[in-house]
Amino acid sequence: MTALIIDDEIQIRRLLRMALESKGYTVRDAENGQVGLQEAVFLKPDVILLDLGLPDMDGVEVLKRLREWSSVPVLILSVRDQEAVKLAAFDAGADDYVSKPFSTAELIARLTAIQRRQGAHDAANLQLGPLVLDPVHHEASLNGQPLKLTPTEYAMLAQLVRHAGKVVTLKQLLRAVWGPQAEEQSHYLRVYANHLRKKLEGSTLEIKNEPGIGYRLEEM
Amino acid sequence: MKEENRPDPDALLAEMQRDEARVKQGRLFIFLGMCPGVGKTYAMLQAGRQRTKEGVDVLVGIVETHGRHETASLLEGMRVLPRKQLEHRSFMLEEFDIDAVLQQRPELVLVDELAHTNAPGSRHAKRYQDVLELIDSGIDVYTTLNVQHIESQVDIVRQISGVAIQETVPDSILDRAHEIQLIDLSVEKLLERMADGKVYLGERAEQAVSGFFKEGNLTALRELALRFTAERVDRDLEDIRRAKRVSSAWKTNARLMVGVGPSPYAESLIRWTRRAATRLNCPWLVVWVEGARVLTPIEQDRLTRSLGLARKLGGEVVSVTGENISEALLQVARERNVSQIVVGKPEKAGRWSKSLADALIVGSGDIDVCVVRPLATADKARNIVPLQDAVPDSIIGEYSWAIVALFAIASVCWGLVAFTGYMFVALVFLLAVVLAALRFSRGPVLTMATLSALCWNYFFIPPIFTFHISKPEDWIMFGMFFIVALSMGSLTSRLRMREVAERRRLRQTDALLRVTQSAALAAEPAKGLAEALRTINELLNANTALVVREQDRSLPKSAHKASSFQPSPKEWGVVAWSYENKQCAGRYTDTLPESAASWFPLQTATATMGVLGVQFEDASSLDFVTRQMIEAFALQIALVLEKEHFIQAVSHAEMLSQSEKLHRTLLDSVSHELKTPIAVITAALEGMQVQQKSPYLDEITTATQRLQRVVDSLLQMTQLESDVLKPRPDWCDVRDVITAAQHAVGAPLDTHAVKLRLADDFPLLKLDHALLTQAVANILHNAAIYTPAGTAIDISATMRDQQLHLVIRDHGPGLPEGAERRVFEKFYRVQGSPAGGTGLGLAIARGFVQAQGGEITARNHPDGGTEFVIEMNRVSTFVPPPK
Repeated sequence: MTALIIDDEIQIRRLLRMALESKGYTVRDAENGQVGLQEAVFLKPDVILLDLGLPDMDGVEVLKRLREWSSVPVLILSVRDQEAVKLAAFDAGADDYVSKPFSTAELIARLTAIQRRQGAHDAANLQLGPLVLDPVHHEASLNGQPLKLTPTEYAMLAQLVRHAGKVVTLKQLLRAVWGPQAEEQSHYLRVYANHLRKKLEGSTLEIKNEPGIGYRLEEM
Repeated sequence: MKEENRPDPDALLAEMQRDEARVKQGRLFIFLGMCPGVGKTYAMLQAGRQRTKEGVDVLVGIVETHGRHETASLLEGMRVLPRKQLEHRSFMLEEFDIDAVLQQRPELVLVDELAHTNAPGSRHAKRYQDVLELIDSGIDVYTTLNVQHIESQVDIVRQISGVAIQETVPDSILDRAHEIQLIDLSVEKLLERMADGKVYLGERAEQAVSGFFKEGNLTALRELALRFTAERVDRDLEDIRRAKRVSSAWKTNARLMVGVGPSPYAESLIRWTRRAATRLNCPWLVVWVEGARVLTPIEQDRLTRSLGLARKLGGEVVSVTGENISEALLQVARERNVSQIVVGKPEKAGRWSKSLADALIVGSGDIDVCVVRPLATADKARNIVPLQDAVPDSIIGEYSWAIVALFAIASVCWGLVAFTGYMFVALVFLLAVVLAALRFSRGPVLTMATLSALCWNYFFIPPIFTFHISKPEDWIMFGMFFIVALSMGSLTSRLRMREVAERRRLRQTDALLRVTQSAALAAEPAKGLAEALRTINELLNANTALVVREQDRSLPKSAHKASSFQPSPKEWGVVAWSYENKQCAGRYTDTLPESAASWFPLQTATATMGVLGVQFEDASSLDFVTRQMIEAFALQIALVLEKEHFIQAVSHAEMLSQSEKLHRTLLDSVSHELKTPIAVITAALEGMQVQQKSPYLDEITTATQRLQRVVDSLLQMTQLESDVLKPRPDWCDVRDVITAAQHAVGAPLDTHAVKLRLADDFPLLKLDHALLTQAVANILHNAAIYTPAGTAIDISATMRDQQLHLVIRDHGPGLPEGAERRVFEKFYRVQGSPAGGTGLGLAIARGFVQAQGGEITARNHPDGGTEFVIEMNRVSTFVPPPK
């Protein structure tokens, strides 16, 4: 497995390299956005750790250019912790966001989660742990038992399962479930999220709220 | 899926109700009757009592019982407003007290007799204006009205009964009515009631009975009232149909136009047109063609009243100039796509000259011409100006000049006639008449022409000293002289008057242009305004005051320094009224006419920028043209002020965004520089701890965590103080907020149980999630540190009237005396606090709550422990629809 670190702080790069190499990653690093993008093309890494405050260009810009041709999992690692910044990163296609100072253990766990999702993506049936969705008949089952869902609940759950472990922003959810004209209706979304939480109660699945950003479906 | 797309109807309804409450307009209910005595007041009081029973706060504003005990008994147990006492020329008058109602703010107020004229010294001239102000301020009003008092019905009533109605209400107020309830009574019953003495007939009861209350009259009035109500119902129905179709604003493409002059018939023509336009449901215009002739004060007054009436009834007033009235009217009609022209029927058919109606019919083409029989409006007593006043001194001077000049010429010619012959004298006279016509007005010139003809005949045509003329050719000569002198005089003076009118118009246009230029193009706005006001002063021969609103939209303490007079303290009330109600007020208007100056709001399409006051040095009335001109000035000044306002706002916003950008960049780089080393230390420590356990490493870890907390607090405080914080409200669940806050506090909370009490149907709130979470987290952190391990922390949230009340209570030792306020101060720490805090946590919590317009307070709970209360006003809520 290869990981690419794009960060201008040499100490952070060195520390991350040590931590990742101890977990069996092959690590390459880049000190600015340009070099980072080139490395991404040649190296085809399995995961990218990206800082937002780069000397030559903004991290979100790097992410946007990367997303033009690649769907490689990207984890943002930044000192900025304002909601607006996070939201912009997620909307640009980030898979997760960890703010500095960070805990190395948590970082590795998040990295593993976003890589695992990448693998599970292509299955004919959407599946996450005990939950199986049938996209043809719009039916769902939990622990082998049929799960009764309204069409809206199904659409929302499917969207969350498709991106399991990753934050799905409110905007992305609304767009997927109700279409682009519904982007201001986030209060309905919260109501359905609560309904879904109740239906998933007692299973190993949990819908987590990322304040102001969106929801994340996680298997405990 | 599709079903879910629809918004929930209950939610929509609730949203609508909320919107309604925000811009609440009072509703107007009118109890309409055909004449006094049908029981309107009685019905109104009954309805009022019913509403009181339903729990509505009802106030009886003013009700005339006229000694009828049935009516008086209905008043028992109701809240009745005391009347206002007004002193007028040593009389004490009683009047409806609008200020008291506005102050008490009942939900519903009963106001009898809508058409009543207020006593002098009241705020408004008419009671219906009081009522309009009440409903504008959000109070519901019940009122009573007889059909004969409706402006557009006045003519019909006069035709029926021969009684001219003085007290009227404009039809437009009926359009504002939420509901009109017709109080109907058969004529027989009414006459019965009258015979029983149950009907109040005023002081002139005898006259009233014989004149007005005849069976025929009453039947006709009843029909009028019924038909009026039916027409309104019909129109409501049409409105509903139209609203469903959502087509063009007007049902037909009809457009009516009526030409009016200073004649006494104008008002009735205007009313006729309004009625027709209402029935056709189409717009209508009133056109006044200003000719060369100077209007007498009586005519001026009549015209002003007619055009004022047209405006009041909702017509559009257009004024144009032109010598040929029919051509001018037709031109306007074509430009404005008029479908029908209304014109009055001429009194007698002229033998030689075509009437206006004829001329219009000939030239109208595809426009319909409607010739109606108008009724003359009796000039109200106060408006008849005595004749001697109507003749200005200058005219008398012109007459004397004309006569003196004539006799001077005559005496000179007397000496010359022997040499030149009497034909020469005739030419000299003619010359004198033409010269006089160039200077004097029509009357003196025509007098001079006549006198000179007679003079020539008497003194110069042989035989002299008689009016007798012997030779037939002299007869012809005399006749020709007479005609030439008269027509020369008349033509020249007409030309001159036209020139005067033209010059006046030019002066007005020029003044308007100068006002615009000086105000808009001046480098310094204040100088430009002063220049503009000076121009207005010169043109109107008046003093002006300009009151420009402050930044916060309140009125300033004094008028703009460009003003040429300062309003007296009493006058400021008028200024404020005009500004708030966006209407003209003061002298020559219907509102507060006792004041010294007239006030015009500086109104643009979007805002009221202030008020322009005009104080005339000598004027008995404000004619329509002048008024229109002042309104034009006011608009120009308003536009200039608005432009200034926008320029300032833009530059201010630019400055703000510049400084904000700077702050943010600075903050970003500082936080980067502080947080990166901490991140490196944290990550390195974690790596080392994996390899080996060491008490030294644990100490460094604790210190680093503390350092990180301090840096976070300092950065948040800086953010708060540099004003870069912008709350971004979004829908959030209070449960999520509490959970996230608990998570943020982390380890210190492990030894405390957090109990959340919340109603099951607690709504979603529109708040800035991150800011509220941080505020709650800081309070929880505080509670965790300052209370003994094992004690619980209770959180409860309630919502009332869009106000969130979030209480966080611990069970610790409580705050020391006097610290309730001080805990929110920066760097304040309660004595005996454990080491390791900055004293910023609660200051930040308060900052984050205040940034969203809320407030936070702390106090000791009577049963022990500290209680923190977060209050947020006007929070939007969303109650999820039941499944």
